[in-house]
Amino acid sequence: MLYLELFIQGIVQGSLYGLMTLGLTLVYGLLRILHVAHAGLFTLGGYIGVLVTNQTGSFGLALITAMVTVGVMGMGVYKFAYEPLLKRPPFVILIASIALFIASEEIFRIIFGPYGLSYENPPLKGQVEIFGGMKIKVGEIIVIGFSLAMLSSLAWLSKYTRTGMAWRATVSDPDIAQAFGVNKNKVRYLNFFMASALTATAGVFVALLNNLVEPTMGSVPSYKGLAIIVLGGLGNIRGTLIASLLLGVVESYGTIYLGKILDRDAIAFGLLIIVLMIRPKGILGEK
Amino acid sequence: MKSLLEIKNVTVRFGGVTAVDGVSLSLGKGELIGFIGPNGAGKTTLMRVITGMVKPNEGEVILEGKDLSRLPIHERVSSGLSLAQQIVRPLVSFHALDNVILACGKKKTENVLSSLFHKDTSEESEKAKDLLTQVGLADSFYNFPETMPLGHLKRLELARALALDPKLLLLDEPLAGLNQLEARKLSDLIVTLNQKGQSILLIEHNLKEVIRICKKIYVQDNGRFLAFGETAEVMSNIEVQNAYLGKNKNA
Amino acid sequence: MDYEITLLTTMSISILFALGLNFVTGFCGQISLGHAAFLGTGAYTSALMTKASIPFLITLPASAMTAGCLGFFIGLASLRVRHDFLAITTMGVGFLFVGIVRQQDFFGGEEGISGISSPGFSRFGFLLLCIALTLLFAFFSTAIKRSWMGRVFESIADDEDITSILGINVAHYKIFAFVVGTSVAGVAGALYAHHLRFIGPDSFGFVESVSVLAMVIIGGVGSVWAVSFSAALLSVLPMLIQFVDDYKLLFYSGLLFSMMRFSPGGMASIVKKMKTNNEKSS
Repeated sequence: MLYLELFIQGIVQGSLYGLMTLGLTLVYGLLRILHVAHAGLFTLGGYIGVLVTNQTGSFGLALITAMVTVGVMGMGVYKFAYEPLLKRPPFVILIASIALFIASEEIFRIIFGPYGLSYENPPLKGQVEIFGGMKIKVGEIIVIGFSLAMLSSLAWLSKYTRTGMAWRATVSDPDIAQAFGVNKNKVRYLNFFMASALTATAGVFVALLNNLVEPTMGSVPSYKGLAIIVLGGLGNIRGTLIASLLLGVVESYGTIYLGKILDRDAIAFGLLIIVLMIRPKGILGEK
Repeated sequence: MKSLLEIKNVTVRFGGVTAVDGVSLSLGKGELIGFIGPNGAGKTTLMRVITGMVKPNEGEVILEGKDLSRLPIHERVSSGLSLAQQIVRPLVSFHALDNVILACGKKKTENVLSSLFHKDTSEESEKAKDLLTQVGLADSFYNFPETMPLGHLKRLELARALALDPKLLLLDEPLAGLNQLEARKLSDLIVTLNQKGQSILLIEHNLKEVIRICKKIYVQDNGRFLAFGETAEVMSNIEVQNAYLGKNKNA
Repeated sequence: MDYEITLLTTMSISILFALGLNFVTGFCGQISLGHAAFLGTGAYTSALMTKASIPFLITLPASAMTAGCLGFFIGLASLRVRHDFLAITTMGVGFLFVGIVRQQDFFGGEEGISGISSPGFSRFGFLLLCIALTLLFAFFSTAIKRSWMGRVFESIADDEDITSILGINVAHYKIFAFVVGTSVAGVAGALYAHHLRFIGPDSFGFVESVSVLAMVIIGGVGSVWAVSFSAALLSVLPMLIQFVDDYKLLFYSGLLFSMMRFSPGGMASIVKKMKTNNEKSS
């Protein structure tokens, strides 16, 4: 039974990783940026979720507000931080992004205080019994369901809508896409909006499951997020999802069996290094 | 005549596509052989097999009796191969002269420790200037690649390949992208090099120039051997004419 | 006087550490986002060995060796993974280092190791040792830069594939760069441990790795003296900006961001620009 429980916990964690890292992959796929500051947007999502829920009592409204606000912020990050640096060597953008992320943590701490915020009246806190008397939180079911819905609708959008096709064309060859009349900048803004909105939902859900948002809640996911997208084969969406779920499950078991040797957060990097030495371009990376 | 380069039965498959299919070729010391074939014939792939950038599924590459098949690129180069690539790739942070100097310093850079204890570049610098002058870049020693036109970059690529003192020089479409006059000048230079004793395998798409400068040619189509021999003889071969002209007619 | 000595010792160790990374990243173009792990390896080696009453003059080279051995493996890894993949792999090594150290009682776990014995010099003598080692490596670096090895490094940083087409064994050079750069970090780590007399897993985390990379980048990748200058400045910056106290990290990250955003070539490029402007105007 413990195995199954650990597995389900792993899937829940993996779904959250998926929501968060999908945006990282979208950004990397389009612009080859290792977008560490993404985790700052994740935390912002968490804060907005808690604040709006506490003010209005509506979790749904909070989720949507978080998505839209963070999405717009994400476009701002692109416009003011990344766009001017695109022609520079990649580590310049990477360091800028790390700096931006550290700054964001500090700003959260200064504005909201170091101890974090909680839901006054935590939504979706019930539990459901599934087979064998095992219990799972409603919140956790919602997380899995929501991730599935988001990801499949995203997949559908990218396959069957004009905008989606323009996006995919730009990812595979920006010059040719532009020659066919795709507006490169529009695609980039949209990309950052989607990426940031997705990570905002991850932030809202993490805050929900822990019933806590704090300034540093993004620090572990930020670097782990990079490990995940590299595992998945940088810029590869399917690979990222597989890596997210895989890591969620491995961590879930690993904490029990490897806890003496490694702390939980180092497991991701152990897995990462092993996989990269065998497949230098990640699980689904092209050769 | 003892052969310098011997390619035996090389086959390369990418996924389901056979890019090079059982190709064999031999080149004698001091020869200049033109290697031609229509687009998609597998010319560049074969070149990459020779240098080790592509690992063939089958076959061997032998230089002066030494089997190179399992060696990494840099060891093949130190065994006596050098390559001027079709898509020129100068080191962009080095000016033209430094690009060539680095290649001239082969002996000093072969071993990590010896590179640490050598600083002097006067000898290499002389040689590099000489080579750049030979290829007609006497005025561009201190130009950086981004400011140089394609014609000059092609020459720089050639000078850098020559700087390695190769037993065999591999030229991958050196004339591509050049206008008629430039192409003619560069092929004259290739002939001059050959007359000085340089063995050259010239992969080229520009049929006119190849026929003009090469005594012997090798033709490949769709990854397969088509013909090999004296230029005039090969060009009168019906299959060769079909491969080129037949296609052009249909196109 | 004590305060000044502490300040200068800190500076000197930081410069040595940054020059070690500069060797790998600045010279050879291999990014490392986990360099603090090698600082930590050196620090823990020396701390544990002195606890077993082995003299500092033996633990110092031993620290270089343990860090260098680890660096050798990262060098091997750099042959498999490149660019962004290498950045994340080295970052992973950093996290793995902290993750392992934190869980082992042998390394003092979460609490770290305190009461590390004095190296057996006066504080001033220790400062002189730090400065001497730093200067030694700085001169070694400049000598390398002018040698054939420097050319090869620059060429690898520019384009690895082309470098191997020029008949150069890229793998050997990359491994050499990693071994030297990480051994030096190990030495800096040993000095660090005996300077502060206390080490813990948090002293060698990701922020330290980013900070040292920032020193190299802000200085201007590859330029030995500019990197030394920026390392000296950034290492004491936290002490100099005590007055902003609660906003220290915000200030630091803001500065880092602005440097990247407005002068990504680092101080070396600013100086260069000023020079060319002067030449133009004169």
